[in-house]
Amino acid sequence: MSLNRRAFLQASSAAVGLAVAQAALTKIAYAEGAKGTLRVAIAKPAGNLDPQSHFAIWAIQDLMFEPLVKYGKGGKIEPCLATDWKLEDGGKTLKLTLRQGVTFQDGTVFDATSCKWNLDRWMGKDQFSWMNCSKYFQSAEVVDDNHITLRFKEAPLALMQELSYTRPTRFLSPKSVGADGKFVDPVGTGPWRQVSADDTQSVFERYDGYWGDKPSYERLEAKVIPDPRSRVAALRSGEIDLIGGFWVAGLTPVEAKQLDAAGVPVVIDPGNVTLVMAFNPDRAEALKDPLVRKAISTGIDRAAIAKALYLGYARPAGNLFSDALPLAGKQYDAPVRDAAAASALLDKAGWTGGPVRSKEGKPLTLEMVVSPEAIPGARVVAEVIQAELKEIGIDLVIRSVDHASKHTDMLEKKYDLGFFLTYGAPFEPFGTIVGLFLSTFKNDVEGKLVTDPVNLDPLINAAASASEDKVEGELQKFYDWLRDNDAIAPLIYVPTIWAHSKRVQGFSTAPTEYDMPYENIVLAD
Amino acid sequence: MIHFISKRLKHSLVLLFMASLVCFTLVVSAPGNVAVLIAELRGAVATPGYVEQVAEEIGLNKPLLVRYVDWLGDAVRGDFGISYRTGQAVSADLPKRMFVTGVLVAGSAVIATLLSLLLGFLGAFWPYKLPDRVSRGLALIGASTPTFFVGALMIYGFSVSFQLFPSFGFNGPESWILPWLTVAVLPAAVLSRIVRVGLEEAMTSPYVLTAKSKGLGRTAILFREALPNITPIFINALGTQVGLMTATGIIVEPLFAWQGVGDYFLAGVRFRDFMVVQACLLIFLTFFIVVNLIVDLAVLMTDPRIRRQWS
Repeated sequence: MSLNRRAFLQASSAAVGLAVAQAALTKIAYAEGAKGTLRVAIAKPAGNLDPQSHFAIWAIQDLMFEPLVKYGKGGKIEPCLATDWKLEDGGKTLKLTLRQGVTFQDGTVFDATSCKWNLDRWMGKDQFSWMNCSKYFQSAEVVDDNHITLRFKEAPLALMQELSYTRPTRFLSPKSVGADGKFVDPVGTGPWRQVSADDTQSVFERYDGYWGDKPSYERLEAKVIPDPRSRVAALRSGEIDLIGGFWVAGLTPVEAKQLDAAGVPVVIDPGNVTLVMAFNPDRAEALKDPLVRKAISTGIDRAAIAKALYLGYARPAGNLFSDALPLAGKQYDAPVRDAAAASALLDKAGWTGGPVRSKEGKPLTLEMVVSPEAIPGARVVAEVIQAELKEIGIDLVIRSVDHASKHTDMLEKKYDLGFFLTYGAPFEPFGTIVGLFLSTFKNDVEGKLVTDPVNLDPLINAAASASEDKVEGELQKFYDWLRDNDAIAPLIYVPTIWAHSKRVQGFSTAPTEYDMPYENIVLAD
Repeated sequence: MIHFISKRLKHSLVLLFMASLVCFTLVVSAPGNVAVLIAELRGAVATPGYVEQVAEEIGLNKPLLVRYVDWLGDAVRGDFGISYRTGQAVSADLPKRMFVTGVLVAGSAVIATLLSLLLGFLGAFWPYKLPDRVSRGLALIGASTPTFFVGALMIYGFSVSFQLFPSFGFNGPESWILPWLTVAVLPAAVLSRIVRVGLEEAMTSPYVLTAKSKGLGRTAILFREALPNITPIFINALGTQVGLMTATGIIVEPLFAWQGVGDYFLAGVRFRDFMVVQACLLIFLTFFIVVNLIVDLAVLMTDPRIRRQWS
């Protein structure tokens, strides 16, 4: 087989010519924003939306699936599919009154029977035993169409808060599963009905049979844009209307500033997640001494981190939880950096000399493990801390690892200093306290911030089993212990950042990072 | 020709087997426990013991050799396993993603070819004059500008400032232009120099002298005599560039929110999604091998000297 070179070139040219002609004939026009459609950026495809599964973007599930009760701003529990609730028998019995006139998007009525069907899908199952209401679940009894009673072996801690979670607690239509009971279609009672979904976008239309306040616009498109710079560009070019959120499509403070400078509306919520520095005395002998921990904490300029890294959007933290959360305890101002005081503390602890202090011939060198992939900006924060600690005679070595290695290192405690993020609403305060501080709770995902079976566990257990009128006092003892022992160093309250196009009016952030903030939006088309 | 193809196919299979072994070893020896990542991905607060359950579920507890043999056996049957991250079958995701990457690479290759011929001819037509210097300057800029920066400039210029083309999405030709241009810049720069130098060399050849003596003009000689003679070199270089363009997709696809193999691979790497990473690596390697084979065949068909060697 042979081909004349000229024939080859002629054939290639013809093919190219045809392709160019095709492209030229295609109308190349910039698409104007679709009228009546809110276009939201999401960082990855929405995924399998089964409320009892764990793959999907929570905020997308929030569009369709509703809970019995909602987590409001400041942790106030508000009615949703349940209009009333009563705890009896010392918290072991929950009597719920269900909302009437609610139908799933496929026309199925939401009543006590469909409510029980949903609860039976997850309550009492091992997979969900991390939730107290599932761990202690005994039975669900249908009283009548609009009343259901839940019984528990023990009174579940923060029961109503748990019932507000995005998953697995939300309700799907009994018809949305196959004959084998496996999830097929996302059909809920919420204001949005899914029209289509693929790897590029998920499209929703307003469900006109919705029982509550319907959105003022008809359509919502969640467009998958993995790259943060591309999301910013898409917002600036008018191709999308909304970006941001911690888990939806994160926006960094730098990007927010750029958008702000370009005249794009930016909304900052103080947020309810705290960036905390952990000490690991099990690995670093020096950190066993509370004076050294206090010196490190005193030697860090939280205000500078908030200003330099978060460009003023974050608040310096003086507590494990910010006052945006319920039962956050007595609020203290963030410690102000005092290098002289920090040096004095180190002197007192026996670490002397310079430029790197030493004790019994051992230099005060500590290793900090950071993962910018897991906590954006962590490397820069670590560098700021490194420079500040150097001034007081501590040699800080930064080890930057990827997300996967960070998990292994934190779990196996291969760090002297490291960063943790608290879980945020609606999991607080007990989500973080049990998950990151209670030694008997096996947390093999995040590792532990600090554990002390002798001193800390009894305080946590006392708070977890306290009655409603005593829980605040018991929790305060836990917070006080952390503070008195300088067991952790809260650094900043991480802000939630959103930005939107000018056609979006009335935007306000959602109460948790897991909800989609679509509710108050009006589109000016 | 059949002897040539058969020999090349045998080499390719051996290469593919060795490559699969290397990529499997590299992927599984990466630090970090994938089971922890998956557990984290599946819920904010994992059940105690859930990580062990995940490790068991995805077969992390099996010996490495067993895992490799299982994976290779399934891959040969076209089953690349289930993505740990999404729970979807990798073999179901791949065809859609390969189509997207195919559009990216094919379109970019066409643009790179056109641009490089244009720039190369500009230089060759007016050697050492202003057009040649401009062409050389553009080639230098194109070859030394990182692709992600080119993409960012394209988006800023054509989407944000002038709002001519969409900045993201895979929604028809208007959304293809910017990614095509972004990927095409670097290969166009490299290829333009090959065209320019190739044409210059050709123009000093005896057959050009013969053509001149026949009274043919400069344009005719360049197009009719010199261009066909640089075709084999150009095809060879283009083949290498097509391979590189596929790798560039890893940067460009996420930038333009294209759900191609590059984007799939990147997400897989980020989450230690072994099945996805291994499948993508295997696809990339197969693609490189196939492209090389096609290039060799095209050169064989267009260059009588090489054809004579194999006949």
